[in-house]
Amino acid sequence: MKSKITTIMMVLLAAFITLGGTTSCKSKKRLAREAAEAEYKSKVEQAVKDLNAILDDETLWSLEEKEARVKTIKDWNLQNAEVDDLLFQVEKKLARERAQKEEEERNKQEAQSANATLERNFASIARSGSVSQANRTINETLGLFESPNVPVLIIINQSAGFNDYDRPTTIEKYLNYLKDQKISPNKVHEIKYNANGKINELELIKK
Amino acid sequence: MKKIIATLVIALCVVGSAMAQEEEIDYARKQAIDSLALEKVRDLSKYIKIVGSKETPFSEANRVIDRAEELFMSDAEIGVSSLGSNKITYYRVRKYFEHLMRLNYDRVEIEWYNIEYVSDLQRQPDGTYVGVITIFQTFRGYDKEGNLTYKDTTKKDITVYVKRKETQIGGRTIGFWDVLLGDMRVKETTNR
Amino acid sequence: MKIARNIILLALTFAFVWPVVGQTIGDFKMDETELYAMTKQMGQFMRRFNYEEDQYGEKLNPKDPKYRNNEMRRKSLPILFDQQKYGKQTDLQRYFIEDVTKDDSTYMTFLGGRWYSEVSCTFRYNGKPVNISLILAIEKEGLGSKWVLTNVYFSDFNKLFPNGEIAEREKHFLHPMSHELDFMNIYKAFQNPEVIEYYASKEFQPDYLTLFFYEIKQGRLVFQHVDSVKFHVFQIKDWYFEVSWFDRSGLNSGWLMSNVIYMPEKEKTNLIKFYQP
Repeated sequence: MKSKITTIMMVLLAAFITLGGTTSCKSKKRLAREAAEAEYKSKVEQAVKDLNAILDDETLWSLEEKEARVKTIKDWNLQNAEVDDLLFQVEKKLARERAQKEEEERNKQEAQSANATLERNFASIARSGSVSQANRTINETLGLFESPNVPVLIIINQSAGFNDYDRPTTIEKYLNYLKDQKISPNKVHEIKYNANGKINELELIKK
Repeated sequence: MKKIIATLVIALCVVGSAMAQEEEIDYARKQAIDSLALEKVRDLSKYIKIVGSKETPFSEANRVIDRAEELFMSDAEIGVSSLGSNKITYYRVRKYFEHLMRLNYDRVEIEWYNIEYVSDLQRQPDGTYVGVITIFQTFRGYDKEGNLTYKDTTKKDITVYVKRKETQIGGRTIGFWDVLLGDMRVKETTNR
Repeated sequence: MKIARNIILLALTFAFVWPVVGQTIGDFKMDETELYAMTKQMGQFMRRFNYEEDQYGEKLNPKDPKYRNNEMRRKSLPILFDQQKYGKQTDLQRYFIEDVTKDDSTYMTFLGGRWYSEVSCTFRYNGKPVNISLILAIEKEGLGSKWVLTNVYFSDFNKLFPNGEIAEREKHFLHPMSHELDFMNIYKAFQNPEVIEYYASKEFQPDYLTLFFYEIKQGRLVFQHVDSVKFHVFQIKDWYFEVSWFDRSGLNSGWLMSNVIYMPEKEKTNLIKFYQP
């Protein structure tokens, strides 16, 4: 009696295990497929959202962050027509942004080197051993300017967002001033250029 | 009508605050103005040295006199007196420098003591600020043989006028402090 | 106890040790110490008096705890006295310093009034050189202030109006019924020009500045030059002092207190009338 029951139990158990096993195997695959589909869907959604945001300038990301984002999306290789279309547009946009940024950096570097050139010349005029040597550097420096009468502004104090200036002078007078006083008390604050790349306004600030 | 009154009220407020602002110059700003005034006086000392030096070429000296003249008000005078005399000789700025240029020594030494005293700025009735900066100078004149033939120490009290002005540059309005030197009293002193 | 006293003495010495600064140019050694010590401008006198600048002449920020600090003033005030006259600290000098550095301390201010400049000048009067003292005061006007003439002292003017003896004064008057006689007696007033003012009201005060302007306008009085300048200061409660220029070497020169007088406010009122009638 006992063994009969045991046998039935064993059969039932085996059946249960087998049945159970087959059902669980089937649902696992389905779940995996569903998960993959969900992930793809969410990635597409995310990509569309991000790319649109970049296109519409609605992100706070830096250019580098935007570029990194695009790279990630491309790496996903979503093969989705909408995403591909957006990627195409965004890449076009970012290429321009990159070019603009590089231009700005180049300008900044140029400005810095222009500042440095001017400040170097100022110091050299002030340090000149002789009048003729100073005059040579003055003439060389004047060549960077639209005319000897280009206005030179000197900030003496900045408070509460206001600049206090000394009486405006001209570049020619300022350079001679450096020669006479043998000191260069100001540094370059801002340079403005005309269309020909000559300086047409110079703003200095007390060191 | 209401609009006009409103505009007037606003305009008056602006003028009022601008005036109040002008009356109360804060400490940092005062210091900036003081050092600007002091810089003009130092510029003047340098010009005196250049013009006084026998090594300065004539054309350079003349150019420097022009620049020195620009530091002063057009009617500024220089009043010079020596020890033991109350007599003041008055010079216009240009004459003073020309006199300095023609001094009959073979070599001169002009040195400035490392001391400058800047007064408080007081306003005169028209609102212009007036101050006085005091500096000290020694002068030595030598003859051909290199002998010291003349020597004095002078106290120079220089009037400084400071006025807030505005000008247009590149389409912008620039507010600046116009610092001009006025009368200068040059008095020989026994202090050294 | 002794240590504490030494520390205080040391602090006192350090407080007013002039910065020793020198520069050597060529063969000449230039020493600025004396020039630092010199009170170079009247404005510097005021700033030192109030302790608004340190011993280097640097303006103190009004927010600085040292600004107008009475402890510092007690140390710095002695240097503003002419030490040739006040060499040893006299009791009067001590009381003066004590009074101006009390809790309700008094400071000198440029626009505070009650201080006058006495400018001693040479003029030519009818061709002869004469000495005249001009009294000037700071007067507020417009957006700022200016020096104005408030009185003039010229001995020739004062001689015109001597304080005559009362007995003599009493001899000169127009009796109260003169009007009934068409003032036929008034000619007597003009017979003695030197006492003409006895015929004026007792309120009469000669106005020397008007006389001075009149003589200048008539061309009889002609300015020559300024001889010296000094200041009379009445600003400090119950004290009066003069500030004069001392051109001498050493560490006590420039604008210094040359005459300090204890003067209760009531007495001052009369004296001020001379400076600003």
